[in-house]
Amino acid sequence: MTGRRGTIVPAFFLACLLSIIWAPAAPAKTTIIDDSGTQSLEPSVSMHWKSATPSRSAPDTMMVGSTTIRVRINVMPWLHRAGRIYLSLPAQQPGPITASWVTQGRFSPGLVHSGSRMLVYSGPISTPFMEDVLKFQFNVDGTLIRRAVPVSFHFEMDED
Amino acid sequence: MTPAGQRVRTNWDGLRRVIGAALLCSMPVFAAAYTVTLNPAAPLTVYLQVGVGSFTAIYNNGGQPGNNTTVNTVSVTVPAGVVGNGTAQAMTTNSTATVSFVDGFAFCSVPGQVYIGGFYRTAGGATAAAQVVATVPAALTDSTGDTIPFSKIRWASSGNGDTGTEVFPSGTFVNGGVQNVGSMASNSWNESCWSFSYLNNTVPPAGTFTGRVRYTLSAP
Repeated sequence: MTGRRGTIVPAFFLACLLSIIWAPAAPAKTTIIDDSGTQSLEPSVSMHWKSATPSRSAPDTMMVGSTTIRVRINVMPWLHRAGRIYLSLPAQQPGPITASWVTQGRFSPGLVHSGSRMLVYSGPISTPFMEDVLKFQFNVDGTLIRRAVPVSFHFEMDED
Repeated sequence: MTPAGQRVRTNWDGLRRVIGAALLCSMPVFAAAYTVTLNPAAPLTVYLQVGVGSFTAIYNNGGQPGNNTTVNTVSVTVPAGVVGNGTAQAMTTNSTATVSFVDGFAFCSVPGQVYIGGFYRTAGGATAAAQVVATVPAALTDSTGDTIPFSKIRWASSGNGDTGTEVFPSGTFVNGGVQNVGSMASNSWNESCWSFSYLNNTVPPAGTFTGRVRYTLSAP
């Protein structure tokens, strides 16, 4: 019994050691954050030509528009924990869109292309709700928007 | 036994409720994404300049287009000795427009050339080109009613540094009517320089003959 024990115990520790070394990093869990408290001062963004006059060398079709949005997201599920909050702009109609924003300091300013996301906060979640006023500028090719088109974005939480 | 059994079941039910409530509290609410509407506000913009035009500054320096009511002229005085000999007589203009308002490039030369250029902006997918037409009287007239057909005037199109086909090509006026003199693809700048000449292949009565041509840009 002693001899058999002697051979088993090292093998057990070796197995533990291997599992520690080779255990893959657990992927961060991503959750869409409740933003039902968010309000826009101008939900319809008036899009204008970025350049009033087109260029001689090539068609110039970029349009821009700005709006101010009072963001209020419910982070109560992550209260007293740490997390990373992203602003996500899914790929959607009418096509490629770029959104940039400035903030009043609670979140980080940034820029995101449709189909991607940008980190706006990283750190402890110390209040049930997080609020900021974001001034957005949207950029889109004017050839894609003959009529008004809805564009959606959301905030999502990555927790380790 | 029965009361005790009931008590046990009741405790389990309560525990289920507690667990259920705890789960509900810990589950985030999946709110719909926030939506804004991108609305192309009055995107249709047109600008046509024949002769002098108005910009607040060169466009590349932040200039914006404006209105200009000036009507420029092209004219020629044919020397008596060559009237009707078939040698075209170059006309000159009182227009001072030489530079392109896009970038300030000296595109035309005066007094031999008339600048014509502009753009039209439109949102949405591919659209037909905007058309520039000339509304031409039947003839130039003098004070006694004598006439010279407008078809005796032609123009050659070019531009400093230009190669290939001109946006506003060379042509000859019709004798009364509306004729197309060029087209503009959407969302691009279009320009040419026109050099007018009088064909001088007939002998009209002596006099000063005038006529006015109106240029119009029509966007789809």
